Amino acid sequence: MTDHQKRASHTRSEEGLVLDQPEYRIEGRAKVTGSATYTADVRREGMLDVSYARSMYPHARIISVDTAAARAMPGVHTVLLGSDVRPFCLGRTLQDWPVLAWDRVRLVGDRIAAVAADTLAEAEAACDMIAVEYEELPGIFSPEAAIAPGAPVLHPDSDGYRFLRGIRHPRSHPNMQGEGNHEHGDVEATFASASQVFEHTFDVARTIHGHLEPHVSAVWMEGDRFHVCSTNKSPFRLRDQLAAALEIPAERIVVDSEYIGGDFGGKGFSIDEYVLIILARTTGRPVRYVTRYADDIRAGNTRHAARFRMRTGVDARGRIVAHSANIVYDGGAYAAGKGNPALMPAGGLSTLVGYHLPAVRVDAMCAYTNNVPGGNARAPGQPQMSFASESHVDLIARSLGTDPLEFRRMNAIQIGDIDCNGERWGDSTFSAVLDLLHHETHWDRPPRAGRGRGMSLGARSSPEGGLTSDLMISVSAEAQIQVLTGVADQGGGAHTMMQRVIAERLGVPLDQIEVRKGATDVALFDLGAGGSRLTPVAGGAALAGADALSERLELLAPGRPVLAQLELAARSGDIRVKGHFEHEAGLHCTYACSVEVEVDRQTGQVSVVDCVFVADVGTVINPLALRGQLVGGFVSGLGQALMEELNVDEGFVTTPNLGDYKMPAMPDIPPIRIVLLTEHPGGGPFGAKSAGELANVAVAPAVANAVHDAVGVRITSLPITAEKVFAAMTATEPGTAN
Amino acid sequence: MSFEYHQPTSVDEAVSLLQDHGDDAMALAGGSAFTLFMKLGLISPGHVVGLGNLEEMGGIHLEPNCLWIGALSTHAEIEKSPIVRDHHRTIADMFARVATVRLRNQATLGGNIAHADPAQDPPPTLIALDARAVIAGPNGYRRETPLDGFFTDYFSVALEPGELILGVRVPLVAADTRATYMKFLPRSADDYATVGVAAVARVDHDGLVASSRVVLGAVGPTPMRAKRVEQALLGQRVTPQLLAEAASLVRDEIDPIADARGSPDYKREMARVWTERALTTVTA
Repeated sequence: MTDHQKRASHTRSEEGLVLDQPEYRIEGRAKVTGSATYTADVRREGMLDVSYARSMYPHARIISVDTAAARAMPGVHTVLLGSDVRPFCLGRTLQDWPVLAWDRVRLVGDRIAAVAADTLAEAEAACDMIAVEYEELPGIFSPEAAIAPGAPVLHPDSDGYRFLRGIRHPRSHPNMQGEGNHEHGDVEATFASASQVFEHTFDVARTIHGHLEPHVSAVWMEGDRFHVCSTNKSPFRLRDQLAAALEIPAERIVVDSEYIGGDFGGKGFSIDEYVLIILARTTGRPVRYVTRYADDIRAGNTRHAARFRMRTGVDARGRIVAHSANIVYDGGAYAAGKGNPALMPAGGLSTLVGYHLPAVRVDAMCAYTNNVPGGNARAPGQPQMSFASESHVDLIARSLGTDPLEFRRMNAIQIGDIDCNGERWGDSTFSAVLDLLHHETHWDRPPRAGRGRGMSLGARSSPEGGLTSDLMISVSAEAQIQVLTGVADQGGGAHTMMQRVIAERLGVPLDQIEVRKGATDVALFDLGAGGSRLTPVAGGAALAGADALSERLELLAPGRPVLAQLELAARSGDIRVKGHFEHEAGLHCTYACSVEVEVDRQTGQVSVVDCVFVADVGTVINPLALRGQLVGGFVSGLGQALMEELNVDEGFVTTPNLGDYKMPAMPDIPPIRIVLLTEHPGGGPFGAKSAGELANVAVAPAVANAVHDAVGVRITSLPITAEKVFAAMTATEPGTAN
Repeated sequence: MSFEYHQPTSVDEAVSLLQDHGDDAMALAGGSAFTLFMKLGLISPGHVVGLGNLEEMGGIHLEPNCLWIGALSTHAEIEKSPIVRDHHRTIADMFARVATVRLRNQATLGGNIAHADPAQDPPPTLIALDARAVIAGPNGYRRETPLDGFFTDYFSVALEPGELILGVRVPLVAADTRATYMKFLPRSADDYATVGVAAVARVDHDGLVASSRVVLGAVGPTPMRAKRVEQALLGQRVTPQLLAEAASLVRDEIDPIADARGSPDYKREMARVWTERALTTVTA
């Protein structure tokens, strides 16, 4: 046992029973019985419904907006225009999206006017009466076109945009959202000395999150404060974004949430709350907006489409010595949905994650286009990057005639090695996950005739260092431990996780611990869900809170059993402690994945028949939710691998519904074997690590590699449709398809 | 949107309601396609005629030499009906694979036909089995028409104003006639077909094709009958080569569009592959 492990195991309660049992979800009964309320269920006396008049063009100047007819429609309380909200722009980091467009629309579905009416039907009918006169402008539909000579500048006023996280990086072109590079080692010299150099290009399609609950919000005034109920999973951040954009003191905005009906990275971004605040003030009535699903798809946020040009040199023994990557993301019409200051997908520069890279040059850019905006989606940038990296690695191993698992073992980071960002790793569990994958798949035995097998390897860094979380714990008159958190549970099971951490630490029955979510005016600050941070960071706060409570109880009744202490605390009243945690960065969660496929040689259809996913997750807090995250993530990855693509034709989304945009359904899910590596503790409570964004990253390249293994063709773009496989087979072997 | 809802108790009452309100009226059976189109703003009838009480439009039973399936039968009822399973197994199996169990419990046969979505599975299968629609019109008028030719364009059928589909009659077939419906779902099992193929064939005791019908779905504005394929088979001895050659003719008998399910060229190739597979099954 390492010191870390000893410490981790010692800090659990002597009973140690809580974490060994499958969890009972705090919110499970309410959700299963249908009594759970979501934001769309929120009703207030006199509440008005809101609808928008939206752009018909991907890029156009607004000449005039005639609202006279709309204002005269029955039930209409107010019509709000861009000129009423100018110059307010919304966004998470860069506020570049006009709350309502005033002079220019940049995507189909851009919001031009908002109507608040007694009913939704009246609001929508009034929107239909709004006459907009446009001057159509040439559109930009690819990042390459955005920086080509003579390209129209999509955001001429971009220098004036508010930037909420420090100072915006300088840009080489006005149509650039974000760009960046990284270099370490002597890249050109190392390439020159390499024994072989490999180059491949990969493309990844734009995809959606697929949360079944769309974005919904409701706003009303309470005194001079705005009460915002939102599907946003980061209430404190939303409060600050709203305050900055609308120039309202943050104390005058309270953000609350109901249950959140799915997130997958899409619920960290809000668009409509800004308009609703202004409408609530204008009308003096509660107002709400429920996004129609097609609008959520075409005028919300997506996972970025991307192109990767990968170049890697290996030495005579097959070790990677030099690597370069050129990465281009389609940022879409607005950068507002991006959470990180680089204004690129957060994992956007991390190429060949998990491999020792002595010399690297990475250039990445994300440009404005008139397509659907790109924003955060589960593990932003990583599934795209993983597809390119792990396809590229597989092709190299194949060219060298090296077993793909052994090639990865030889090149994977060991303690002390350097990754793509120049970071030297102080830990590595790659050998362990590769061993487990090898064992579970019987790797040395080839798959059954007609099948192909492919694998992928990767890692995710623990959440960035310095992240903090706080919560309050008090003891009620009934001796209940009451936890007040600002964390909105987006479905991952965070509240149950906190309950179990505290129960495990104190040795108190689970039902004696209540976890309640508070709005931003009563709960302590928390960054919200995202970046796989809740278990390690908010869980750390729960553990710290349990310790703080334990200390208080010891002062109250030294040496007494905790249940007796709680009884005393209940009688004494006013027991209230804070749990504070600051996360230290440094640890990595690794994974290895194997997929076996059958390919119909006449049609190109790929059937996934077996999957193994090995994940380094540290100590398990919620065993069922963990499995749910890994299996669910895996299925999401299969969707991205095989079928998901948001088709956009000259700015128009051609698959704006879940009938044409297909995600995997239950009958599509193959057997998925989950193998957990739990012996290497992480920085979370009791040694827990992050797990929410591992599996979806891993799948697509493993599928591509398996297809190559099965039928000898390489698909270099996602999704791997039957038609692409068919075309590749037909091209390589005329006659195969006949 | 709002509309006036009518709940007639007889077919004649339903027909006269539809006639009275003309283009402003729509009939409502299971409501699955109706609700979808209404939410998309594609339809906004002022009058909706609910058919739920009309017994004449229900039921699944045998008639002399044919199977009656009432228009209000849900996909799930047809899929599970012992009569359908015994006498037209292909129909039961086909309905069992339409969409999802949630939709099959709601969507009706009549609604499916009247909706006339060319990507749907039942029309090609029913046409291949030579099914006929029984239609009610004004003043107690009844007529029967083959489903082959009934579909006129995307989401269009040859119904006159005021007419209602009461059900279909499917001729019973001889024991040596074989039928199948295959659909190609390369993305998800819960998807419209990239191509659907219904094939029916009878091979005589000399090994010659005595009759056949091949009808494709999802590759044109209506279900597409592949008559040249049928002609190429007629009277010929069944060999793998014959089936491959006949199937290859299907490419020119269809008119697929480009969409998220594939390019026209790919759909033509897949129509060929699946036609060959279907023919192989029904002539084996």
